[in-house]
Amino acid sequence: MSTEAGTGVKRRDFLKILGATGATTAVVGCSSEKVGKLIPYVASPDNTVPGVSQYYATTCRECAAACGVLAEVRDGRPIKLEGNPEHPMNRGAICATGLSAVQGLYNPDRYRSPMVREGNALKPTTWDKAFELLAQKIGEVKSKGQAGNVVFINQHESGTFPGFLDQWLSANGMPNHLSVDSTAPVAIIAANQKAYGATWPQLDFGAAKLVVSFGADFLDGWGHSVPQQLDWADARAKLTDAPRLVYIGARRSLTGLNADQWIPAKPGSEMALCAALTGAGTAQAASDASGVPVATIEALAKAITDAGNGVMALCGVTGSDAVECATMVADINKKAGAVGTTIKPATGHAGYAGLASYADLANAVKAMDAGSVPLAFIRGANPAHTMPKSAGFAAAYAKVGFKVSFSAMPDETAQLADLILPDNHWLESWGDAAGANGQLGLQQPTLEPVFDTRATTDVLIELAKKDQALAARYNVADYRSWYISKFPGGGSAFTAALTKAQVSSGPLVATNGRTLAATAQPAAAGAGDFFVHVFPSPTLGDGAGANKPWLQELPDPVSKIAWQSWVEVHPSTAKKLGIKEGTHLTVETAAGKVTAPAYIYMGVRPDTVAIALGQGHTAYGRFAQNIGVNAYDLVPTGWDAAGGLALGALMGKVTVTTDKSPLVTTEGSARQHGRGIGQALPIGVLLGTEQEDEKHHHEIPGLPSQDFKSGLKSPVAADAQGEFANPESKDKGMYDPNHVQKMEKRRWAMTIDLARCTGCSACVTACYSENNIPTVGAPYQGRALSPTQWDERPGANIIKGREMAWIRLERYYEGNDNTENEFSPDFDTRFVPMMCQHCGNAPCEPVCPVYATYHSPDGLNVQVYNRCVGTRYCSNNCPYKVRYFNWFGYGEPERRQYAWPEPMHWSLNPDVTVRGKGVMEKCTFCVQRIREAEHRAKAEGREVGADEFTTACAQACPSRAIIFGDAADENWSVSKLAYDRRAYHVFEELNAYTAVVYLKKVNYPAPAAPAKA
Amino acid sequence: MTVKKKWTVIPGFLALAAAATLLSAYSGASSSQGKIVEQPVKFVHAPHVQKAGMNCLYCHSAANKSPDPGNASVATCMGCHTLVKPQSAEIKKIAAYYQAGQPIPWNRVHKVPDYVQFPHMRHVNAGVTCQTCHGQIQNQGAQGPDTNYVPVQQVNSLNMGWCINCHVQGYKPAEGARLAGQQVTPELEAMPAKKARYDCAVCHY
Repeated sequence: MSTEAGTGVKRRDFLKILGATGATTAVVGCSSEKVGKLIPYVASPDNTVPGVSQYYATTCRECAAACGVLAEVRDGRPIKLEGNPEHPMNRGAICATGLSAVQGLYNPDRYRSPMVREGNALKPTTWDKAFELLAQKIGEVKSKGQAGNVVFINQHESGTFPGFLDQWLSANGMPNHLSVDSTAPVAIIAANQKAYGATWPQLDFGAAKLVVSFGADFLDGWGHSVPQQLDWADARAKLTDAPRLVYIGARRSLTGLNADQWIPAKPGSEMALCAALTGAGTAQAASDASGVPVATIEALAKAITDAGNGVMALCGVTGSDAVECATMVADINKKAGAVGTTIKPATGHAGYAGLASYADLANAVKAMDAGSVPLAFIRGANPAHTMPKSAGFAAAYAKVGFKVSFSAMPDETAQLADLILPDNHWLESWGDAAGANGQLGLQQPTLEPVFDTRATTDVLIELAKKDQALAARYNVADYRSWYISKFPGGGSAFTAALTKAQVSSGPLVATNGRTLAATAQPAAAGAGDFFVHVFPSPTLGDGAGANKPWLQELPDPVSKIAWQSWVEVHPSTAKKLGIKEGTHLTVETAAGKVTAPAYIYMGVRPDTVAIALGQGHTAYGRFAQNIGVNAYDLVPTGWDAAGGLALGALMGKVTVTTDKSPLVTTEGSARQHGRGIGQALPIGVLLGTEQEDEKHHHEIPGLPSQDFKSGLKSPVAADAQGEFANPESKDKGMYDPNHVQKMEKRRWAMTIDLARCTGCSACVTACYSENNIPTVGAPYQGRALSPTQWDERPGANIIKGREMAWIRLERYYEGNDNTENEFSPDFDTRFVPMMCQHCGNAPCEPVCPVYATYHSPDGLNVQVYNRCVGTRYCSNNCPYKVRYFNWFGYGEPERRQYAWPEPMHWSLNPDVTVRGKGVMEKCTFCVQRIREAEHRAKAEGREVGADEFTTACAQACPSRAIIFGDAADENWSVSKLAYDRRAYHVFEELNAYTAVVYLKKVNYPAPAAPAKA
Repeated sequence: MTVKKKWTVIPGFLALAAAATLLSAYSGASSSQGKIVEQPVKFVHAPHVQKAGMNCLYCHSAANKSPDPGNASVATCMGCHTLVKPQSAEIKKIAAYYQAGQPIPWNRVHKVPDYVQFPHMRHVNAGVTCQTCHGQIQNQGAQGPDTNYVPVQQVNSLNMGWCINCHVQGYKPAEGARLAGQQVTPELEAMPAKKARYDCAVCHY
């Protein structure tokens, strides 16, 4: 943020100009002769080189974890987020939600200016008029002495802002600041506080021997997903003394699928199980309540005892008894002496400090309903979507005298407001967030605001300045100046700290204390034959991510369904109901009903149906609106002893309708049919203490043959070299080691450790971000049915198998073959990231009639877009099905199906071609990054160093499962990993000599298996 | 059933052949070589290079470190032209842009298609002279903006065959120096042609 000396043109001004010139270009582009423009800077900012990326360290604000991220900024615009490798918490990793922040920044549906209500509609206005109106309203409220009734509802955030807001509100005589987060596990936080003295202790998976999760989905977004996943994957990679995981819950979530054992207890029976495990109850009573056999409960109790202080019991229960249950779970840890070993309060995470509960919000809604709230502010939160209908938010909110929203997006709540003062995106504003272990993550803007929006922090200061009584207290230019005035060491220390965006400090001003306590108010139990399990979506959360096409297009890690809501039913239940996948089911509880297509899933109890939150938006933008159903409609208003919304143990009826529709799924089959795509190895076989049993005869047993080893060092398989692929030929063409290009000494390759991969799918979104992959499932992107009619079903292209993900996460189940007739919790899940395998003997290459795909001398399977004529022969011949055809010109702005409506195209990577219609495309091994590294090395007069760079998927991976590099050079990590004992090639029998080497998953025996009789 | 004579298809083939010829002729002519592109300011390279002795990198400052060579910012122009020829009609245009805080909307002359990645720095750092691709750019506008003025033109076709020719046959330093009007020393003459990689994925990705 420097000023160009002598010219007086600041970087901010320059960015403004750059934005303006973009608009001019667009106008000129419409003239009869298309002339491109070459727009120079008005004044070059310091330390920038056009066409070369700069990286700004900042802090991700998409969830409470507050990971450190680097924003890649090219010519003034952030184009991608990456994890900050120097950040102690996320160590370079980033999740799909974090990666998608750029789609929040460049979202085409954002408010582009302040808006004011005129009659029934919101009309654009100016900031001056908006300030005038709001100052007047605040004045009226104050003069009537009603300031004490004003409510400020803020999407929960940690760091300095809550304290700043508290100060501002109290200066205005407004005490009601509610910091709400509909996905925060309120009950667990309250129980943690009581049991461990920390809101969120560090979960040290590395020290754990046995993890017992009572519905705690620590790999699905519960708590702090990236740091938890990193620690989990690192611990599991130890293989021999890896922690074992037992998952207890009615539905096998992504975390459940990663568990070594699933104990499918009835919803609401967790308390009884805990009682049996802590000795407060009997195993028989627990068995009666939960439906879990006594022997299993006893085996679990024994496993817990055996694990000693290596136990980590986690509670994620969401019923009205959640606080009591979490307290009992904490007792298991305490009794085992695990507090301080696996559960570490001292190095805990402060992200949830100051959180308000659902009950607090419900009470505020009650006050609104009584007509006693003259003025309400809502920022970030969307209670009109995330509160159950039974809470009556919309009707109550309508009775508020004047409703102010700071929402950046036209969400359901913002649509009800009288005045909208759109907030900046976090990539456009200053701020901070509390992290783990007493760290504070700093947040800095990476570009000038895209639209006419202002940071709420600056707006509050501006408002205070307009009030004579407050002006002296807020005698600062903006929030940044205020922040620096509080920062230890002042401006220079702040500037220095920004390079790492991380300081050892608490929030600069403290927030008013708040305790999470309420009188539990259980909702009416409801009647029906089924338990209804409602859970936050791992990709969309409670719906905040729903207007980001990357997150909509990312298949749910468990069901592999995108752009849709679904109801999970067990195969045996489906058989009983006489339904098939896609039949619409109506689920009805005491609170309401929703109808969605059935997804048949063996990871849910036969007496339970499960449905994810996140969809069902009635507003919010073009990618979210009218997609799926809102599962909050099923939830009655009730809360636990901490005031958290009770989701768990609902009862309901399920009605079969006559409607059906295809599922928007990217999955062909959930079974491998003996193909050995995702292979696994029992730990005993790896250790040599056990022979593989013959039960899974279709498995490829034992340690892999590794016949491919010899081929991995050369860029192309020996039998594909030479003139006309004749191995006897003396003419090796461009693969000749003495060839002038000097490229053949490298063999770019990748290893994927299936023992680490959790199936989270962050790699998929990272690939979308890096490689300009279009999303194809939006309702406006369907094909023409007739000249005037379009297929407007969400995900219509995906239903036809036309998704574009260059890397996909395949998920396969093993075992449990008779699932239609009986329920068994024992099945194994394999997650396999699948992308172009860059075969040394590629089936796609010889069938291309125009030589558009061929093997480069450095071992890449190359797709040349400008040669491709779209015959799709290559895709037909690809055994891995990793080639994707661009059907509708998603990359062409003048077409209906254009995937990056303005200004979303600002996030495009300039180093990667935006593909046009009729072209085949696929994973390139991030060839642009290879070339960039080569350019850099050449400029510095050296060779590319080992592990100097990596691909986008490997960079993001929060499990560190993907490693990329040069397999022909032993200094690279990949060349060591590729010779691991667990290494295998998918479809090795096809002799394709792939460059992607998978490491077999390692399976562990069920930790709480009853002793064999 | 009607019996068709075999050779009735021949006119169809002829039409196809004609269409193919036209198409290939069209694609061959798609280069902007030699096209006159008018500019908002009649910029002249010659006085800058020849009279003032400025290095190309003074304005195209990133040519040796970025794929994008960069173009002089308006402030860079005004750094000299506040004092040099401030009364010239063309300089006044630049000054107006500068005072308005607006960049000069130059019209693009050289453009490779989107699916081509062209790293300037690799070529510049390999010693390829600017004139090898951009022609006698140092002579452009030698008589000033008012006499026989011709704006910057694309001198070479920039088609793939033209690129590949140099990558395969090699760049001859002596030839490059000759084009740049530099002294061709015997050492330069003796230097072998520098060949470059010509794999598709070197430029197309």
